[in-house]
Amino acid sequence: MITAGNTVFRTRGFGMIPEDILSTAPLPERFASQAAAMLLEGETPLFTIVGDLDLKGRYNESALVVTDRRTLAFDQYHAGGVYVAEHAQVDKAFVKRMYGNAVLRVALRGEAPRDIFRFTYSVASLCDAAALFAENIAGGGDVRQEFDIVKATFDKKKSFCPKCGRALGQQGAACISCTSKSTLVRKFAKYVRPQLKLMVLCLALSLVTTAMALAPPYVTKTLVDTVIPNKDLNALLMLVAILLSVYIVQYTIGAVRGYFMRIAGDRIVAGLRNDIYEKAQYLPLSFYDKTSTGSVISRVSGDTSTLQAFMLRITQEAIIQFFLMIGIIVIMFLMNWKLTLLSLTPIPLVVLGARYFGKRIAPVYRKIWRRWAAVSSILTDTLPGVRVIKSFTGEQRSAEKFESYNNEWLIEDRKAAKLSNIFPSAVTFFVTCGSLLIWGFGGKWVIQSPQNISVGMLVSFISYAAMFYGPVNFFATLNDTYQNSLTSAQRILDVIDAEPEADFGKGNLVKKVKGKIEFRNVNFSFDRIKKALTNINLVIEPGDIVGIVGTTGSGKSTLVNLIMRFYDAYEGEILVDGVNIKELDLESYRSKIGYVQQEPIMFKDTVFRNIAFSLPDADVEQVIHAADVANAHSFIARLPDGYDTMLGERGVGLSGGERQRLSIARAVLKNPSLLIFDEATAAVDSETEHLIQQAIERLISGRTTLMIAHRLSTLRKANKIVVVDKGEIVEFGSHDELMALKGKYFKLIEIQSMSEKIRAGKEAERFE
Amino acid sequence: MSERTYIEYDNARITRLDGLALRVEMYDGRVFENVEARRLFPITGASRYITLLDEDGVEQAVIRNLKNLEPDSRKAVEETLAQYYLVPKITRVLACTEKYGKLTLKVETDIGEHRFEIKHVNTDIKVLFDGRVFITDSSDNRYEIPGLRKLDKKSLALLSPYL
Repeated sequence: MITAGNTVFRTRGFGMIPEDILSTAPLPERFASQAAAMLLEGETPLFTIVGDLDLKGRYNESALVVTDRRTLAFDQYHAGGVYVAEHAQVDKAFVKRMYGNAVLRVALRGEAPRDIFRFTYSVASLCDAAALFAENIAGGGDVRQEFDIVKATFDKKKSFCPKCGRALGQQGAACISCTSKSTLVRKFAKYVRPQLKLMVLCLALSLVTTAMALAPPYVTKTLVDTVIPNKDLNALLMLVAILLSVYIVQYTIGAVRGYFMRIAGDRIVAGLRNDIYEKAQYLPLSFYDKTSTGSVISRVSGDTSTLQAFMLRITQEAIIQFFLMIGIIVIMFLMNWKLTLLSLTPIPLVVLGARYFGKRIAPVYRKIWRRWAAVSSILTDTLPGVRVIKSFTGEQRSAEKFESYNNEWLIEDRKAAKLSNIFPSAVTFFVTCGSLLIWGFGGKWVIQSPQNISVGMLVSFISYAAMFYGPVNFFATLNDTYQNSLTSAQRILDVIDAEPEADFGKGNLVKKVKGKIEFRNVNFSFDRIKKALTNINLVIEPGDIVGIVGTTGSGKSTLVNLIMRFYDAYEGEILVDGVNIKELDLESYRSKIGYVQQEPIMFKDTVFRNIAFSLPDADVEQVIHAADVANAHSFIARLPDGYDTMLGERGVGLSGGERQRLSIARAVLKNPSLLIFDEATAAVDSETEHLIQQAIERLISGRTTLMIAHRLSTLRKANKIVVVDKGEIVEFGSHDELMALKGKYFKLIEIQSMSEKIRAGKEAERFE
Repeated sequence: MSERTYIEYDNARITRLDGLALRVEMYDGRVFENVEARRLFPITGASRYITLLDEDGVEQAVIRNLKNLEPDSRKAVEETLAQYYLVPKITRVLACTEKYGKLTLKVETDIGEHRFEIKHVNTDIKVLFDGRVFITDSSDNRYEIPGLRKLDKKSLALLSPYL
């Protein structure tokens, strides 16, 4: 142990590290010893960040050691290998995000800003915390309080499964990937288990038909060796009759078994599809940001069928073929062990071939899947947008694009076709060689010593040998099916095993929401390149009507997305009525919020059911009342089919304003405690806007409301305005207060007033 | 709406200031101080259409094609772009293992050896039409393989199943 000042350092073999220091990784020894040697009396190291880039942008060791007094940045390109910044001298400290990397930039009082530490995004959020720490300490902040914020960021970073490294919803949460069953069979066994009785029945029927299938070759032997040479007509007729009965029973049982197998298989795949679809509903938006809907659709439709075929093969065919193989081998050995050994000689070649083939085909199947998912993606992206394609005469371009993706799939599928046809043919060839061996040697033994092996026995043996290669071929090609299914299984497990939206507050139901919303030190980015929200601190009292304004891309929608808990990976806290929203039951929490989007989504269903989507048990009058409040009832009544009108995928048949009012009716029906309007009047004319505004006014009375707005008329209703710019809140107050400031809000209102005057003028002239 | 200022050939002189900042002197006398260069097509057209943004992020001018600039100006812009855009070029794949659906790659790049993880193999590895491959790791860092065909056989064999 070494003491430096009041700090005790414990030697760990990597350097000198204070026992309770926070760190991303073990500090490299040379930095640790250098840092220890530089510590002043009474100075306490608080945390370290180990970087992976040097200041020139090459992969190299670098580190940041932050104490209660200073920041020490270790990099070979600093004079003496270290740059020291005293917190008290810091004028500005921030992280400049770039493309694929970032730098910690510090400006000391009276000096120009300087890059002191460079890193990839692996430690970007921690460096944000370090910069904020230094700035806040320089501004007189309390070390302990500021350190707690840093510690929270570190804790979040540590929320990874120690076994597989997957991000967890919170520290200590169970890792779905590692706690779920490790083998494919066990994971999917739960879909097979409900059909167990039916499958056991099918198996029993199969064993009966298999046993029956073993009989005819033996009967053939008797026919050839005894009945026909003896010209025994009665015996012949009897044997033929027995064979006929056996075949009738065999094929009848086969048909029944086939029917039950189909039912079992369909139930299995239906169960799988239900699970995938249901799971997909609960996945966070960040999953859909990264995974195309075409890919998810492929998994629900195609992959489940592939997996169904494999599961049936494993649970039925494999067992039957195994028993068949054993039965045939036993009979063959009993008939003639020499011929049996001869017929088994091609087997090693078949087995080795299967292994080699498996390794070659797996990557090909993976590629085929990716190509097919790309094709599905094109379909789901472009066909709903056919209106856009037509209006920009893009039909030919669209078709060419689809053709190129389709061709890529074709190329990969052809590679698989080559491989998956060459192999079975090769197997069949080896099997045929085996039969030739039997004919050659067997025939010779019949000619030379007919007392040992008769013609009937040889013919019977050939039949059994041919039957034997059925199971051999089955097991040889099982690998092909397995590889194909493995890819599908992994795709399905991607969805089933994906971390659902974190609901750690499950069960903690929200009873009543008064409507106080607080943002505390909230930082958020979708990717690491650009921060969408920076240091958001905001308090909204119950009943406040808050207008959120800002230019496009300023972070307004992101703010409401976080309140809706569409994204959870933010730093800081969001509280409703003093409770962290992450600690509330997700479903219960969202049920208290009415959310009206800018682009209302209508499902392919009736008007009634679209409104009642928010409250499925609502009765007719509740829905009509909600439509009334939303000023939608009058236009619905004018529709030929009224509330039974079928709406298209995108609410086809309704204008933008009508869709918006239906969307508001949905929110009304929900009777929410909190309301969020995301530019609800963005794309409508002023007459429709007036109707929507009226509807909104009825709805918001007495409820805490957040309205992303750029219309002056909307903002006038708000008693508080939040002005967002580049992810930060730049102004907050009432309309009058902000107008008096003559800042950003004032400018936005001026521009808005001018454009509204022009618009009103155009409408007055009926000029479009 | 004012017309966009395009910079090409010798109609401007660009010099480097501190950090990523540039100074642009147009031939018509206009000067843009403290602008930073950003690629408008960082993936498909790295040297074309470079926008020059002021401190408020407002575009001041656009360089049509870096390759057509005067050598000194080109050098100044390229140096700042090299600093801003860190996209290591993978020259060799040393190891590639998959576990629990996560891919771990150990690679040799033009800026040194590095190890990283890819969480979503299907979406984070993109093969472009010209044979380049773009990879995003689990920390949102970016990597590029300049040409698949230029990789050695072993590297290609390791990576091929995921392309």
